[in-house]
Amino acid sequence: MTPAPPSAEAALFRPISVGEESGIFLRLRWLLASSTLREMLRTSRLRLSLVILLSALFWGSLFGLFHEAFTFVDSLHAEVISLLFNAFFSSLMVMLVFSTGILLYSGLYTTPEARLLLTLPVRSETIFAHKFQEAFWFSSWGFILLGSPMLTAYGIVRHAPWPFFALLLPFMVAFVAIPATLGGILCMAMVAWMPRLRLHALSIALGAALLAMIGLVWMALATPRADTMSAAWFEQVFSRLSITEQRMLPSWWLSSGLIEAAARAKDGSVARHQAEALRYLAVLVSNALMLQLVGRQVAARLHRLGASQLVSEIPTRRKRRMSWFDEFLSRAGTARGRPLRLLIVKDLRIFRRDISQWSQFAIFFGLLGLYFWNVRIFNYQHAYAAMIGFLNLAVVGLILSTFTTRFVFPMISLEGRRFWILGLLPVNRDQIVWSKFLFSFVGGIVPCCLLVLLSDTMLGIAPWLIALHEVCCVVLCAGLSGIAVGLGARMPDLREISPSKIASGFGGTLSLVISSLFIIAVVLVTAVPVHLRFAAEERGLVTTGWSAADRGVALGLAAAVALGLLATFLPLFLGLRAFRRLEP
Amino acid sequence: MIAFEGVTRSYGEKIAVAGLDLTIPRGELFALLGPNGAGKTTTIKMLVGLLRPSRGSVCVAGHDLVRDPRAAHLHLGYVPDEPCLYEKLTGREFLWFIADMFGMSKADAERRIEAEIANFELGEFADDLAESYSLGMRQRLVFASSLLHDPDVLVLDEPMVGLDPRSVRIVKDLLRERTRGGMTVFMSTHTLAMAEELADRVGIMVRGRLRFLGTVADLRARATGQGTAGPAVGAEPQSLEQLYLDITSADGAGAPP
Repeated sequence: MTPAPPSAEAALFRPISVGEESGIFLRLRWLLASSTLREMLRTSRLRLSLVILLSALFWGSLFGLFHEAFTFVDSLHAEVISLLFNAFFSSLMVMLVFSTGILLYSGLYTTPEARLLLTLPVRSETIFAHKFQEAFWFSSWGFILLGSPMLTAYGIVRHAPWPFFALLLPFMVAFVAIPATLGGILCMAMVAWMPRLRLHALSIALGAALLAMIGLVWMALATPRADTMSAAWFEQVFSRLSITEQRMLPSWWLSSGLIEAAARAKDGSVARHQAEALRYLAVLVSNALMLQLVGRQVAARLHRLGASQLVSEIPTRRKRRMSWFDEFLSRAGTARGRPLRLLIVKDLRIFRRDISQWSQFAIFFGLLGLYFWNVRIFNYQHAYAAMIGFLNLAVVGLILSTFTTRFVFPMISLEGRRFWILGLLPVNRDQIVWSKFLFSFVGGIVPCCLLVLLSDTMLGIAPWLIALHEVCCVVLCAGLSGIAVGLGARMPDLREISPSKIASGFGGTLSLVISSLFIIAVVLVTAVPVHLRFAAEERGLVTTGWSAADRGVALGLAAAVALGLLATFLPLFLGLRAFRRLEP
Repeated sequence: MIAFEGVTRSYGEKIAVAGLDLTIPRGELFALLGPNGAGKTTTIKMLVGLLRPSRGSVCVAGHDLVRDPRAAHLHLGYVPDEPCLYEKLTGREFLWFIADMFGMSKADAERRIEAEIANFELGEFADDLAESYSLGMRQRLVFASSLLHDPDVLVLDEPMVGLDPRSVRIVKDLLRERTRGGMTVFMSTHTLAMAEELADRVGIMVRGRLRFLGTVADLRARATGQGTAGPAVGAEPQSLEQLYLDITSADGAGAPP
C-alpha cells in the first residue's frame, strides 16, 4: 500500500521537529506543575508547610551533624575525606541506577500517559527525554537534600572559596545524570530484550545489589567487638573502603572535583585547584551528555518494541486456594465474630497480593532489622544503651506510623466504591471499623515487638527494660492503629481510588502528625524517668528496694499506657460514630 | 486506508489474532464485533501502534505502523475504551496539547478547538481540571481531541461506554458526517444494534479469526435465509442477534468470510 495522496484540502497536521516536540513537553510540564502547586496552596497548605518545615529541620540537623563530623575527621585524617566521599557517592550511584530505572519503567511503559503518548505522532526519544526529566527529578531531590548539607558543611569546615559553593549544584546535577541515564538505558534494554525474564532479571539484579551493599557494609565494619573504634579498626575499615576509589567511576570524578574546588594552595591561591575542579566537572558533564545521546538512540530503537512486548504479556493465571491460615482464622472463634474475622481475612489477602504493600513493609523493617543487628558491634555504657534502645523504639514507631498512614488510613475510604457490597451484607458497620483496627494492630505488633527485642538484645539491655520497651511497643501499635483507623473513618474520601492520594490529603497528613506526636510523647514519658533512674543509680541513690526512681519509671509507664488508651479509643470512638452515620 | 496483511499476533503459546487480511477503504465505517477474548482489542492495539504484529503488517494511509509509526499516527485519531487525560490539565489545555503535537497552526488549532468544544458540548467544563470530570465528560473530551486534526482514520474502542443518550446521538451523527466526508472509521463494539445502525461493513471475530466479513445487508440476508450460508429452505428466519450468537458460539460453524 502506498502512502495516501494529499487530499485536495490541505491537511491540518504536519510532522513537527524535535525542538518543537521538546517545547510542547516543556509547556505541558509547566502547566502541570503550576496547576499542582496552585491546588496544593489552595487545599493542602498544612501538608506543604509541614513538608517545608520538616525538610528545613532535616537539612539543618544534617548540616549540624556533618559539620561536627567533618571538624572531627579534618583534625585527625584529612585524607580520609576522599575515601568517605568515594564510598558515599559510589553507593549512591548504584542506588540511583536502580531507582531511576524503576521510575522510568513505570513512566515509559505502564502508566496511562505512556499509552497515550505511544498513540501520538511523537518521537520515542522525545518521550524518553520527557519521562527521564521526571524520573531524574524524583531521583535527584533526595540526593540534593542529603548531599547539600553534607557538602556545605564540608566547604565551611575547609574554609572553601566561594566557587566551591557555586559549583555544588552543577556537580551534583551532572553526577546524578550519569547513573540516572544508565538506569534508563538498562530499563529499556531489559524490557525490550528480556520480555520473559524481565521480572526475574530485575529481582536478581535488585537482590544482587542489596547483597553487594550488605556485603560492603559487613566487610567495612565486621571486626571483633573488642577492636571497635580503635586505630587498627579505622585502618582496616579504610583499607576495605578503598575499593570504591576507582578512577573510571563518576563518583571518583565527583569526589576529586569537590575536593579540588574546596582546596587552597599553601600561599592561599585557588586558581590552579579551581581549574582542576572545572576539569572534573567537564568530565562529568560531557559523560552525562554523551550518555543522554546514547539513551535517546536506545529509546528510538527499543522504546516502542519494549512497549509492545509489555502489552503482549498475559497476567499469570494461578488458581488461588484458601491458605491454611485464612481457613483457620475464618473458622476459629464464635459464629457471632465470624463476619469480623472474614473481613480481616479479606484485607489480609489483599495485603498479601499487593506487592507494593508487603515489599515496602519488608524492605523498611528488613533494613531496620539489619541496623539493629549491627548495633552489637559497638560497646555501650548501661545508660547510653538504654537511651539508644528508646531511640530505636521511636524509630520502629515512626516507621510503623508511615505504614499506618499510607496503608491503613485509606482503608475505609477505599471501601467507598465497594460500599454497595459491604452495605448490603449482614455486617454491623462497627465490625468493619474494628476489623481494620485489629488487622493493623495485630499486623504491626508482631514485627515491631520482634524488632524491639532484637535491638534490646543486641544492645545488652537489662530484662526489666526490655519488658518496658515491649509494653511501650504494644502501646504504640495500638495507638497508631487507633489513630489511623479512627481518623480514616472520621474523614473518609469515598470518591478517591488512589490510596497514596488519600494518604497525602488533609486527613492523612493530620494522622501522620498526630501519630508522630503520640510516638514522641510515649517515648518521652517513659525514657525520661528511666534516664533519671540511671542517673540516680550512678550516684548511688537507688537502693535495693522500691525506690523513688523506680516509682518514677512505673508512673512513666502508666502515663504511656494512659496515652495509648486515649490514642486508641478516642479516634476510634469518633470514627465509629461518623461511620455509622456515613451516607456513601 | 487501513490494511491488515497476514497479521498474526500471539501471546506466548496463545494466538490472539490469526492471519488477518483486511482492507478498509477511504470513507468506510467498519465495525468489529466479537465476544470477550475474541482478539478485538489486540487488533485495535496493533492498528494504533501499541502492539507489534508477530507476523504480517498493519498500514494506515500507506504507512507501516512498525516501520514508520510517526507518519502513521499523523493520520490517526484514537478513542480508547479507558480515556486517559492529564488530571491536572483543563480540557482546553489538553486539546491544545494534542493540537500542538499534530503540528497544527495556531489559527487552525484555535478554530478547531472551539468547533470541537461546541460539537461535544464541552463549553461548560472545558476550563475545569480533568480530575473533576465524570466518565462521560472524559469520553467526550477524548472524542474531541481525536478529531481535532481531522484524521484520515479514526479508531474507536467501545466508543459509547459512559456516554449519555444525548452524547451517543452526537457521536453517531458526527461519525456519519465524517465518513461522508471521507474519514475511515474502525470501531470495535459489543453492541450489535450500533453496528447495524452505523456500519458499512461488519467483521465478526471469534478466537482471533474473522468468522464473518460483509455488509449489514449480507448479515441480514443470512439471518433471513437469503444468504449463501443461510438456514435451509423451510427453516425459520433467524434474528440478527441469534445469527451473531450462532457465529460466535464455541461450536458455531460460521461460514468463512
